[in-house]
Amino acid sequence: MTLAGRRALVTGGTRGIGLATALGLAEAGAAVAVSWAHSPDDASAALAMLAASGARAHGVRADVGDPAAVRGMFAQAAEALGGPPDVLVNNAAITEDGLLMMLPEEAWDRVIRTDLTGASLCCRLALRGMIAARWGRIVNVVSPAAFLGQEGASNYAAAKAGLVALTKSLAREVARFGVTVNAVSPGLVETRLLATLPPARRQEMDRQVALGRPGTPEEIAAAILFLVSPAASYVTGTTLHVDGGLTML
Amino acid sequence: MDRERLRGEVKELLVSGLRLDVRPADIVDGAPIFGDGLGLDSIDALELVVLVEERFRLSIPDEEVGKRAFASVDALVEFILQERGE
Repeated sequence: MTLAGRRALVTGGTRGIGLATALGLAEAGAAVAVSWAHSPDDASAALAMLAASGARAHGVRADVGDPAAVRGMFAQAAEALGGPPDVLVNNAAITEDGLLMMLPEEAWDRVIRTDLTGASLCCRLALRGMIAARWGRIVNVVSPAAFLGQEGASNYAAAKAGLVALTKSLAREVARFGVTVNAVSPGLVETRLLATLPPARRQEMDRQVALGRPGTPEEIAAAILFLVSPAASYVTGTTLHVDGGLTML
Repeated sequence: MDRERLRGEVKELLVSGLRLDVRPADIVDGAPIFGDGLGLDSIDALELVVLVEERFRLSIPDEEVGKRAFASVDALVEFILQERGE
């Protein structure tokens, strides 16, 4: 139980990578709060799984792009976890794809607000507790799109590249307080989205991955768990690419 | 609260909270807290924000307020009294 006594908040923590991370944190002994924005069904299923792990767990509905909602989320999480979170995983993200020339301005704004501004708001609110404790771990979930670009997802790629730059800058700002800030860049991951793709497209995507297959949410969570664990005490400001050799950065 | 006692408490907090190598009594009331005097930089100010907010139950939400509050020990005492409506 390397994370016993820790309090973690995972945004977008009720499915996929976020849920696998929340479960891993719970199994490692942390108390865990998860936020969700859209599906109450996913949330109740996730909370049942977290409860089954025996951990102290709490769910909160919050749109991370809404500053008032984020403040409420942190207040609730602190209440439910018995103190402010000292582990923050910024995983919540949305996509609204389209070629830039034709992309509605609102689709640009919404993706930047949720994926970049949302993570920044969460960092801001998490830092006071972390600085007071002189210990904290922040992990931002980014994407190969931030490094390679992605046609039809310029808003998402820009938001994630911004989040990489935020990760590095914030890592420098708070290092002296024992707070590390890192990113994990998951490649193709076995999720509902991937399951909806046509087989031919799937095969084409798998070919670009050296390991020839998508990753699992648990394989991404393992990297996040490493970054918040004592084993990563000398790691900050970096991105861990967990993409089966898609980018090789 | 008595201004003189609060001034002492603020200096004590600076020295113990920020682990300064000076005696509280040696901190000059009107000198800037950040900059050359005490060898503190703007990143140290983040910790002072947290310490002052916790100790005195008030909010220093952004840099604008922080600059005003941390202009000097006297300014910080004034800020605390003001925020508490005293």
